[in-house]
Amino acid sequence: MEVITGEQLIKALALLAAGLSMGLGAVGPGIGEGFVGGKACESIGRRPDEANLITKTMIIGQAISETTGIYALVVSLILIFVV
Amino acid sequence: MMISGLFSVIGSGIAMGLGSIGSAVGEGMIAMSAVESLGRQPKASAKILRIMIIAQAVTETAAIFALVISLLLLFQAGTDSLFKGITYLSAGITIGLGTIGAGLGAGLPGASAMKGIGKQPRNSDVLTVHMIIGQAVTQTSTIFALTVSLILIMLAPTGGLLKMAACLGAGFAMGFGAVGPGIGDGLVARFANLGVARDPKNMGLLTRTMIIGQAITETTDIYAMVVSLILIFVI
Repeated sequence: MEVITGEQLIKALALLAAGLSMGLGAVGPGIGEGFVGGKACESIGRRPDEANLITKTMIIGQAISETTGIYALVVSLILIFVV
Repeated sequence: MMISGLFSVIGSGIAMGLGSIGSAVGEGMIAMSAVESLGRQPKASAKILRIMIIAQAVTETAAIFALVISLLLLFQAGTDSLFKGITYLSAGITIGLGTIGAGLGAGLPGASAMKGIGKQPRNSDVLTVHMIIGQAVTQTSTIFALTVSLILIMLAPTGGLLKMAACLGAGFAMGFGAVGPGIGDGLVARFANLGVARDPKNMGLLTRTMIIGQAITETTDIYAMVVSLILIFVI
């Protein structure tokens, strides 16, 4: 078995951390966007005339909920390619 | 030689153990709403029972994916490469965690469809169609997890410490990454079903909004899949 240097160990742990970062980071945005989309559908069921306004607001709300997912993606790409 | 086989057996246990959580809870939610609807509309019992079984069958797919991977891993116990052992363990983690979200997510629209039928049994056909569309989109997160899991199982048996850590990271990224979007898709479909139950005339509008909402919810899942494929193939 070859000798494992400290640098290799750091790189290996960074790759594992990249996976954990993206994985756990996707849990919250997924559920949060689901709440936004769900309540938008509920409102459209109640007031179908306002569908355009509700859809627009839904997309903005989901885009903002998405940001933490993008942070997780950026952190995991940094961990993969920079560390 | 012993240790590598041990990893695939542990992976098999993780796959089936975690993989059954989501579907079991999801099917329970559907049956709970069905029983509630039966109490309200005993005359529509045949219809409620039939649609309950359809909804539960769709919810079960996530657990069946986990079962398939679990059995595949069980037959790999004779492997003598430590790297393959780690990839088998990662495959088990991917599908085990990856099915939790889709199982719970498919249960939510099923439960709301049963509730809608209990309120107005006349709407059952429209609601069933809408429920199945919603549940089908919910399953995408499990299908991503299944894909990554199969890629990990079929990976060439060469790699050092870095590649092992990358494969384990890919498993965690795709596994945990599928939990949130699965539940989120289910929430969108749940409220869309309630809207259809209230007034089936709005079905076209609601299906459109539901699919847009679910597609945006699915983006985090796609990020997770991209990261796990980078970890598998680029490292």
